[in-house]
Amino acid sequence: MKRLLFAAVTATLAAGAAAQQPAQPNPRDAVPDKMPFDLPYGSPISLDRAQAAINAAVAESKKRGWKLNVAMVDSGANLVAFARMDGAQIGSVAIAEHKARAAAKYRRETKIFENGVQEGNLHYLLTLDDVIASRGGIPIVDNGQLIGAIGCSGGTGSQDEVVCKAGADAVMKR
Amino acid sequence: MKQRPMLTLDDCKKMSSAAEAEARRNNWNVCIAILDDGGHLLHLARMDGATPANARIALEKGRTAAETRRSTANWQERVAKRIELLRMPEVTPVQGGVPIVIDGTCVGAVGVSGVQSHEDEQIAAAGIKALG
Repeated sequence: MKRLLFAAVTATLAAGAAAQQPAQPNPRDAVPDKMPFDLPYGSPISLDRAQAAINAAVAESKKRGWKLNVAMVDSGANLVAFARMDGAQIGSVAIAEHKARAAAKYRRETKIFENGVQEGNLHYLLTLDDVIASRGGIPIVDNGQLIGAIGCSGGTGSQDEVVCKAGADAVMKR
Repeated sequence: MKQRPMLTLDDCKKMSSAAEAEARRNNWNVCIAILDDGGHLLHLARMDGATPANARIALEKGRTAAETRRSTANWQERVAKRIELLRMPEVTPVQGGVPIVIDGTCVGAVGVSGVQSHEDEQIAAAGIKALG
């Protein structure tokens, strides 16, 4: 009896759905002509420049009374420099590096992943290797080439991003 | 309640700069990692020319020294005599990781990788010395 009822309900739902809307085109089936985020990987950022970015980020964070972790990776997504501010949460040590790494590997801000998942409902993004869908990871570009990336973590995503931007802007030459 | 000393970011910068100066003086390119007493990263600097592997190894040497309160040189010596110690979890028994001990309390460690192990340790020690 129960099974019969279930079958009936399913059949009704299916008929209703088919009648109401024709199959929607899948936006992900579109084939763009150009490569997205086609930013060449350049030579690795120097330690001096990486530390300059971190110092700028830490200064911005300090100005606002925040405590964050800041990580810099090179164009190969390998850790170059790191600083944990006094009292910053230790769970964010790995997150700061992850954000920087993902921004370098995927040549885009990690905010793009966050927006894709939240606004775009692109949940498949979370299945891609080494993605982190949280803002606060920004590529460092020098003369049209990616030389590294900065990642911040320890506050809200929005706080992380403000500090991250301050660090990136200090050393970026677009 | 027992109070314990704690490394600040300024302390880390001071140690890292001193360690880097020691490396530069010898024309060595290394990575210098500083961790707290829980083995969590506080500060890292990979000098130009040091490899990605150096960053990982410096971190792991430092973690070993911080969590076990022993230098990794000590681990290396003991492993040479007792091979079974290689089975100890999360231990990198290669010289170059040195605990930072303040008034008898371990507050963290410095791990260095990039040149010969005894030279790595020399750099780590130079960093800790700068703490005063």
